[in-house]
Amino acid sequence: MNKTDIQAMPAGLAGAGAGGTARPKVTTFATELGRIAAIGLFFAVCLFLFRSDPFILNMMAYTFLFAALSTSWNIIGGFGGQFSLGHGVFFAIGAYTTANLYFHWQVSPWLSLIPGMILASIVAVAVSWPTFRLKGPFFAIATLALNEVAFVLATYFDSVTGGPRGMLLPFKAGLVNMVFTSRLPYAIIMVGFLLISLVVAAYVLRGRLGYYLQAVHLDEDAARAAGIDVLKVKLTGMAISAALTGIGGALFAMYLRFVDPPTVLNIQDIGVKFLLIALIGGVGTLYGPLLGALLIIPLESYLRATLGGTIPGINLLILGGLLVLFALFMRRGIFGALQGAWERYRGARS
Amino acid sequence: MAAFLNIVIVGLLLGGIYGLVSMGLNLIFGVVRIVNFAQGELVMLGMYGAYLSWFLLGLDPYVSALVVVPCLFVLGVIIQRFVLQPLQNEPFMQIFATFGLLILFQNAVLAITRGTGYSVHSELSRIVISVGDINVNLSRLIVLATVIVVAIGANWFLHSTMYGKAVRAVTQDRRSARLMGINVELAFMLTFGVGAALAGLAGVLLAPIYTLSPQIGGNFILAAFAVVVLGGLGSVWGAFFGGFIIGLIEAFAGYYLSPELKHAIWFLVFIAVLIVRPGGLFGIAGAEEVGLREQD
Repeated sequence: MNKTDIQAMPAGLAGAGAGGTARPKVTTFATELGRIAAIGLFFAVCLFLFRSDPFILNMMAYTFLFAALSTSWNIIGGFGGQFSLGHGVFFAIGAYTTANLYFHWQVSPWLSLIPGMILASIVAVAVSWPTFRLKGPFFAIATLALNEVAFVLATYFDSVTGGPRGMLLPFKAGLVNMVFTSRLPYAIIMVGFLLISLVVAAYVLRGRLGYYLQAVHLDEDAARAAGIDVLKVKLTGMAISAALTGIGGALFAMYLRFVDPPTVLNIQDIGVKFLLIALIGGVGTLYGPLLGALLIIPLESYLRATLGGTIPGINLLILGGLLVLFALFMRRGIFGALQGAWERYRGARS
Repeated sequence: MAAFLNIVIVGLLLGGIYGLVSMGLNLIFGVVRIVNFAQGELVMLGMYGAYLSWFLLGLDPYVSALVVVPCLFVLGVIIQRFVLQPLQNEPFMQIFATFGLLILFQNAVLAITRGTGYSVHSELSRIVISVGDINVNLSRLIVLATVIVVAIGANWFLHSTMYGKAVRAVTQDRRSARLMGINVELAFMLTFGVGAALAGLAGVLLAPIYTLSPQIGGNFILAAFAVVVLGGLGSVWGAFFGGFIIGLIEAFAGYYLSPELKHAIWFLVFIAVLIVRPGGLFGIAGAEEVGLREQD
């Protein structure tokens, strides 16, 4: 095994190969549940402390939402190594499903999360079936094109999507309508979504499917030779990832109460952001995407708030630069770097 | 009949644009084996380069190619040397890095121009050639002529010169090429430079046709991907004919179906080609199936 292989490995397995001295550190699902509960508690305290600051609450809502979305992307993109640039499509499906059901039939958004999830999964499986035979950059190109096609279709079929004008959802405050006058309930909902995605990701990662996905990521031919049904594993991972992304889209739609193609199908602001956050935090690690979102989203809203008026695009300009720098110098992200430092520290002590 | 002929002409002229934009992308893919997501942004930089030369030096866009093309060549060499060469065996990180460059370039231009749309005028672009009912703008005809010259030139260069043969040797087997005394890194740098220069040339020639905006690269990159997948990644003639096929599809779909749906039609063609003939019509068989083979 050479050096590049270790770097390309999902972090869950990397401990086994790196250095040789470190023990393979594999936690159980129960351990991860405990950690996730601790994270939930910590965020609950944060929300309580800032309960009356709408600016901070807004930032936290976005941070948790994107942390959850990036965690969802990470299931297929990080664990499974399928670098989808098209997750914005599943996000948009969730957003439009909920928006339509609420707008036309006054269905409670809580209920319409379910059809949104199912629809996102079905579309994900249908479009991934042919595109999963493509590897690496080719898969990325195909999913990028998919996002573009979704944009075109969403603009064209204006009876479903409101076309380029978008859909403005009526303001009828109430728990059933998932519309609130304060930002606090939204932030709580986003934390809930984050915890759900983390639990699902942990369950996948520490279960059979997670190991299959990681095997496919490392070497698809070897995985197939070992008896793994590669296509089925990828499709299952994609379906789970897309379903969670669909929930995220629905919550986003209810938070903004506005859906239009340039917002939900923006490749740079939505589709690519999931993998950008994951890369900066640590692709393929369980908590990397959360860490990435905690850094990126506040940084971005700060830049947008302070410089966005005078220098348009400054937030994305810096994100693009970070993306290049992380690809060059921190391939395992912040989480991977911290993990490496911790292992070196432990190695030096023992 | 006149309508039909008109659509064919429109399609061919559009195909010339797409073919020209795809040439550089395809060259970079074929030799360096990197899918450059930032290629559309290099075209965009070429367009703004033409504007800048006109604004600062008063150069006609067609003359400004003499300045812009070398600049993009240098930019391409720098990108290859400092960003992509360290990532040679990291296909996933290459996606991140080139996508990062895409976002970086696009928003740098947005930040500098503050989103104002510019247009570049040339005396030549005002000339319209009429044959019967068909009107053709000279600037589009120049693009068409250029793509033919570039395709023939690239083909001649790759097959008939010593340097071109060296590049093809690197494409076929990096390690053996290195053993034969070819400087692989230099070949990659020069190839990426030429690929970027071709994008710059495309940008300069397209500047009089389009209104300049920082996001315009996005229009070209998807078309270019469709072209290279259709024509076959890494094949000069693939990009050439692929461009015309996509251009004709777009023209016909735009006329008979709906102009808004042309991208959706591309995607269907794209998927159909991938399923029926994954290597493209002229391409390296199986490149997209086996992924980019790691070579060192």
